[in-house]
Amino acid sequence: MIDGLFTWFDNRLAISRSGRHLLNKIFPDHWSFMIGEIALYSFIVLLATGVFLTLYFVPSGQDVIYHGVYKPLEGQVVSAAFKSTVDLSFAVRGGLLMRQMHHWSANIFIGSIVVHMLRVFFTGAFRRPRELNWLIGTTLMILGIVNGFLGYSIPDDLVSGTGIRIAYSILESIPFVGSYLATLLFGGVFPGDGSIIPRFFILHVLVVPLIILGLLGAHLGMLMKHKHSQFPGNGAREENVVGAPLWPNFFLKTQGFLFLTVAVTTLLGAFVQINPIWLYGPYVPFHVSYAVQPDWYMGWLDGALRVMPSWELHLPGHMIPNVFFPAVLMPGITFNVMMAWPWIEAKFSGDTAEHHLLDRPSHRPVRTAVGAAVLSFYFVLFGASATDVLANYLSISLNTVLLMFRVLCVVVPLIVYPITYFICKEMSQAKGGGRRKSFNVVIRSAEGGYSTVPTEAYAGYARETLEPVSVEEVDLSSILNGAEPTTPAGVYQIPRD
Amino acid sequence: MSDHLHNVAGEPVSPDAPQFAVATANPRRLEIVAGLTFFGALLAFLGFGAAFWRNANNEILGGTLGLGFLLFGVAMVIWGKYLTPRGPFSEPRPLMETTQLEHDELVADFASRGRVAFGRRKFLGAMITASGAVFGVVALFPLVRSLGPLPKKTFYSTKWRKGSYVATIDGRRLKATDLVTGTLATVFPEDDLGGAISQTVLIRVQDSGAVTTKPGRESWGPEGFLAFSKVCTHAGCPVGLYEQTTKQLLCPCHQSLFDVTTGATPIFGPAPRPLPQLPLFVDGEGYLRAQGDYDEPVGPGFWERGGTN
Amino acid sequence: MRGVILKKLSLFIASLLAGTFGIAAFAGASTTTHHAVAAHVTKHSSTLSPQLQLGQTLFDENCSSCHGIDAQGSMLAPKLQGRGAATIDLWVSSGWMPLAVPTDQPRRGVDKFTRVQTTAIADYVASIKAGGFAIPSGSIAGANVSQGQELFSENCAGCHTITGAGDALSGDLNAPSLHGLTTTQITEAIETAPGNMPHFYPGALTATQVKDVVAYVANDIAHPNNSGGIGLGGNGPVAEGFVGLFLGVGACLLFALWVGDRSEDDEEHETEAVKEAHV
Repeated sequence: MIDGLFTWFDNRLAISRSGRHLLNKIFPDHWSFMIGEIALYSFIVLLATGVFLTLYFVPSGQDVIYHGVYKPLEGQVVSAAFKSTVDLSFAVRGGLLMRQMHHWSANIFIGSIVVHMLRVFFTGAFRRPRELNWLIGTTLMILGIVNGFLGYSIPDDLVSGTGIRIAYSILESIPFVGSYLATLLFGGVFPGDGSIIPRFFILHVLVVPLIILGLLGAHLGMLMKHKHSQFPGNGAREENVVGAPLWPNFFLKTQGFLFLTVAVTTLLGAFVQINPIWLYGPYVPFHVSYAVQPDWYMGWLDGALRVMPSWELHLPGHMIPNVFFPAVLMPGITFNVMMAWPWIEAKFSGDTAEHHLLDRPSHRPVRTAVGAAVLSFYFVLFGASATDVLANYLSISLNTVLLMFRVLCVVVPLIVYPITYFICKEMSQAKGGGRRKSFNVVIRSAEGGYSTVPTEAYAGYARETLEPVSVEEVDLSSILNGAEPTTPAGVYQIPRD
Repeated sequence: MSDHLHNVAGEPVSPDAPQFAVATANPRRLEIVAGLTFFGALLAFLGFGAAFWRNANNEILGGTLGLGFLLFGVAMVIWGKYLTPRGPFSEPRPLMETTQLEHDELVADFASRGRVAFGRRKFLGAMITASGAVFGVVALFPLVRSLGPLPKKTFYSTKWRKGSYVATIDGRRLKATDLVTGTLATVFPEDDLGGAISQTVLIRVQDSGAVTTKPGRESWGPEGFLAFSKVCTHAGCPVGLYEQTTKQLLCPCHQSLFDVTTGATPIFGPAPRPLPQLPLFVDGEGYLRAQGDYDEPVGPGFWERGGTN
Repeated sequence: MRGVILKKLSLFIASLLAGTFGIAAFAGASTTTHHAVAAHVTKHSSTLSPQLQLGQTLFDENCSSCHGIDAQGSMLAPKLQGRGAATIDLWVSSGWMPLAVPTDQPRRGVDKFTRVQTTAIADYVASIKAGGFAIPSGSIAGANVSQGQELFSENCAGCHTITGAGDALSGDLNAPSLHGLTTTQITEAIETAPGNMPHFYPGALTATQVKDVVAYVANDIAHPNNSGGIGLGGNGPVAEGFVGLFLGVGACLLFALWVGDRSEDDEEHETEAVKEAHV
């Protein structure tokens, strides 16, 4: 039966001809190659739960009167978007679970993209020939953040509405075109003519996901073309991929991993409340709550808005508003530098060769230190998005906390850079740590001191430029007992007795 | 590029090679573990079905479903990790760098065939470019221009007019005698109750006498009343937080602090400009009313704003 | 961290100073104070009802050292005459008062008196000079909770947050959490505007509206509908972000660690692989 069906398709699509290659595709055995899959599977959860939500969500800013299960809002004038979100949380079976899974999944989606990106960055997997895939990956991350913000905004609750208000101000701050962009997108001066909710909705459920889907296809297509990068060792070379085949090993493992990712999302959705919009109430332009922040992936932007000093640029007849610098210029620079990084690094290192074997982060101290410093900068900004909450919980003055963050976001990267650099330098002296094992030769000098020298262990090391280690010139003739000195890596080996 | 699995040296692996042995020393035991785990998943999924049927709460619904996924995933990973060929295998990877020959052949094909179609067709080239470009520009109109109105002067004025009564959201006109010192109220002109741009904070800072926040504003704060735009000059949040004893307004979004008695000048945080002040007067019947609109655009800055303060 | 240490240090120095001066002042003035109290008691006690007598005794014992005899205020604390019973009741019943050390920040705690004693103190202070609000009944019968939610969102959430969790204000101030308050206390707070809180009543809120807000705070801020699991303290998406990153992505990464790595003893394989590579 199955054989017959297969033959039918095979005769029309010639599956047998290419299928065997696919079954044999090798996936490296290292957990860090699974991080991207967390994002992939979260995206699947997002699509599935998202489709469920669209069946009940009403994307409209139209005013309606709330009558429903949640009594403290009974009779209030709310938008149809808000009402339908409360209704699908309380009146639809499994609706709250789906909504919470959708939101947690978005957090995990973008979080795992960031971790995946860090893996790619710190191991040098973005180098030739993968620069294009790095570009696509960065774009996917930006789109993920954008779509997260859009989705967070459309329930039209008090917290997200405040976020939309800030977004309007950020749009408005762009030189030359800002006020036009703002009124065009919102249909007038804030809050506009109510078209922002349906517009955000269609961007959130159709336009951005479609682009993400397309780029995801290109991302994975390029992965198939280039095949996986891999860590040296276990016989891994530039010209091969070592690991487990797709069929049956990786297929079973990755399908299992899909369910594990879904399980984490489901359990979070079951037991940890996220975005209880009924407690926030509907967005009203003159209402506001303290202790509001955007979701974490926008937190660094909110933090930047907070720590920015109160500067504006005044030109004759024109101005560049304060929010432009932290909310447009800084992310602009961030994402552009991020995208250009493969070329920036190649420019400085002069290394334009094709690489499929990955670096240990400690072997590239400058790259690692730059990455760690930049990361720490954004982490401090993320912390700054909770200045008020921190001040409240630690019982420190709000003003002190803000001043502290202003200092920290300059000082922390400056401290992190040298510390990371020197740790990397130290670690790269100690060869053989972690999984990449190589033979070390320990030499005892005539004075009794010890020194360690790595030897070339695998063909994979051929492209590695090892840092020369200065070895003390020692006259070995007295301890060699007349044996012939052999020099596998330019170093004398001491024969065993 | 052969279709066999290879060992790490790149040689084909025969089906009886050690790489094809199962990855665990005790497959029977793990088979039982995985099987039981699958059975656990089955029970959990049944539980989810029952919970859904009984319309159980979120925790039970998600708990059963999540447990089912968890056990299902664990069982599958056990299967895939321990009951499959142990490997390692390898496959060859052609480097992306092409040879000069491949490169030249493509260029030659492109150029020689292209010459037939494109050579000396300058006119066609110009026309396709021109018509395409015109379409590109024209397409912008329905795509962009239809979205909404142009800003025009909408950023420069609110609904406050000379003589507007100061009213709360439920439309009550406020009298000076209604509010004690230290009161904070969000107020609107009567024809724009709840207006996002007209929203104003009314604060009584003292019992009697005019409050002068800045030179030239001597008559703006009658009987201890001050009114400021509630739209933050930083990012547009409603400045809803008033500290009675320090007489400061704090924006809840990014913690800009404004000193009320000196005209809501920013004294801390990112806000670059004072909140615009609404000139008030008390009419013969004791009602609080506006002397006119704000004398500057309210809210955050924008390119055309100019502005010097 | 440094802020905390600095603060602790300054508090320590302040209390040292206060202690030194306090002892000195006490040594010099204790006898006269006692005399004054004695005289005071004899002067009034005959005219006061038993309830007010109890209030006076408690006030003299617990409050007068800072707020002065007859609540006329001193260098250490403000005058309470004419503030009304509601103010006194709120500050005492919330545990803010009395303070152990006059320089301390008032902190929420348990009422150090019985309900009868607290009302007695409040009534006594109110009896000295008319003014302010009487202790409200705190009845929320017939209140519109939905109206209350709307007004809370407009007037209160800006400082106390929309979930009533409270937050830090400028400087060392903070808007306290609104959990665990009685309807009487909430009404008193809105009517009397303690500390830095602005006034809303009368004027900005009508008496009915105050009742609505009280009902919302007492019912739904104190007992929020936490459908969907653990509430994360109502501190907004930063807490959710930490859970999403560390619990969500973290758990997935741990699973990846298990799923992604080889099942076999690595050492054994390493040597095999190396052998093959060297062939």
